[in-house]
Amino acid sequence: MTSLQTLLKEIQNLKPIPAVTNQLLAAVDAPGSSMETIAQVIQYDPVITASILKTCNTAYFGLKHPAESIKDAVSMLGIDQVIELALIKSGVQTLSGAQEGYGLEAGDMWQYSVSSAIIAKQVAIKLALKNKSTIFTSALIKDIGKIILEKYVSNTSGKIAYLVEHKKFSFLEAEKKILGIDHAELGAMIAKQWKFSPRMIKIIRHHHLSDETMIKDKEIAAVYLADCICMMMGTGVGADGLAYRFKNKVIKELNMSADDITMIIAEFGINMKAVEALLHIV
Amino acid sequence: MKQIVGVADMKVSNNPAESIITYSLGSCIGLVIYDPVVKVGGMLHYMLPESSIDKEKAAARPYMFADSGIPRLFKTAYSMGAVKQRLKIYAAGGAEILDQKGFFNIGKRNYMALKKMFFKNNVIIDKQDIGGNINRTVRLEIATGDIYVKTSGLGEVKI
Repeated sequence: MTSLQTLLKEIQNLKPIPAVTNQLLAAVDAPGSSMETIAQVIQYDPVITASILKTCNTAYFGLKHPAESIKDAVSMLGIDQVIELALIKSGVQTLSGAQEGYGLEAGDMWQYSVSSAIIAKQVAIKLALKNKSTIFTSALIKDIGKIILEKYVSNTSGKIAYLVEHKKFSFLEAEKKILGIDHAELGAMIAKQWKFSPRMIKIIRHHHLSDETMIKDKEIAAVYLADCICMMMGTGVGADGLAYRFKNKVIKELNMSADDITMIIAEFGINMKAVEALLHIV
Repeated sequence: MKQIVGVADMKVSNNPAESIITYSLGSCIGLVIYDPVVKVGGMLHYMLPESSIDKEKAAARPYMFADSGIPRLFKTAYSMGAVKQRLKIYAAGGAEILDQKGFFNIGKRNYMALKKMFFKNNVIIDKQDIGGNINRTVRLEIATGDIYVKTSGLGEVKI
């Protein structure tokens, strides 16, 4: 078992996600918030501003005139795209390293996180859910717990693998059994420390639906389903592979058909180039 | 030199200096074909079983689907001198999430699509590494026809 005190200390030592993330999400969620307010929040962070402008001006977006300010970027690409770029940029430093305990090389977790966030957005659009930015960000950072847990997983990988391969445990269940905590629980603790909204903390905590009653929460179910689809796609998947539980009930709860899921996968396949472009945000 | 097959992508080569690789097969299937006489090899990484779900997407990305991608893989290899009867065939991927059932089991459906098409066309898979809950990377060396599989977190194994 892992001592809670040790984990809490490690959470405190973790380099936090930039403050602009929370400010941006708050601005997006605030009733009656304007594009100007949102642009101002982004502009306040020069590193993220510079990065967004650099990305906007890459060949991929094909702008006729270079964007010189966040205001330009918003008018050329639309506010949603600029918010997404800002959120993605805010996660890159924390999520792009190697996580050897999970068999993830540098960049793997980042690729998975961005893909998962994009799929979550597709699911949110399909279901006409409102809090798209919260869903997007939750999907982006939901595996944050792995960053701390990876070395404990690495030290006990034989025991975890044994439970998964021979005792029908999911990887999450094996983490919990061997380490006393799983990466979703630890992720929620980190999100709390970073002062994310209670909504996001809850989504991160339940993103594998280990507590099945959470299936009724459509935002959690959407992030969960996006995670499953992303696992099936395989990009950036580590040693834990697809050893998580698929809750067939979620499909019914979200009123989705097999064709809907197939269409989301096909859509993602078409958008792979966009994902590649987003991955190269530096 | 490495030729990378992306998701919903295909590569065929007769250059002995090359190896063809596809990363991270989850429920997708990596299909490898190789003619040892002319040393022509190809690899397809498809995501879904049937293109009928969206004709427009199938036209834009034919390698996304089994039924539109597999014939193209074979035809391209034939155009480079490969002969059906000599082809060595290997398939990997089709992994599934625990408890995934029925139509939602994309990995199994991807594999069934392959089996169905091969049955109709009298094609036999020589070796395969299908299903389970693991993520696979597959590499083919054009000079030798050797195939290697790597499971995330473990080393590469020659099959």
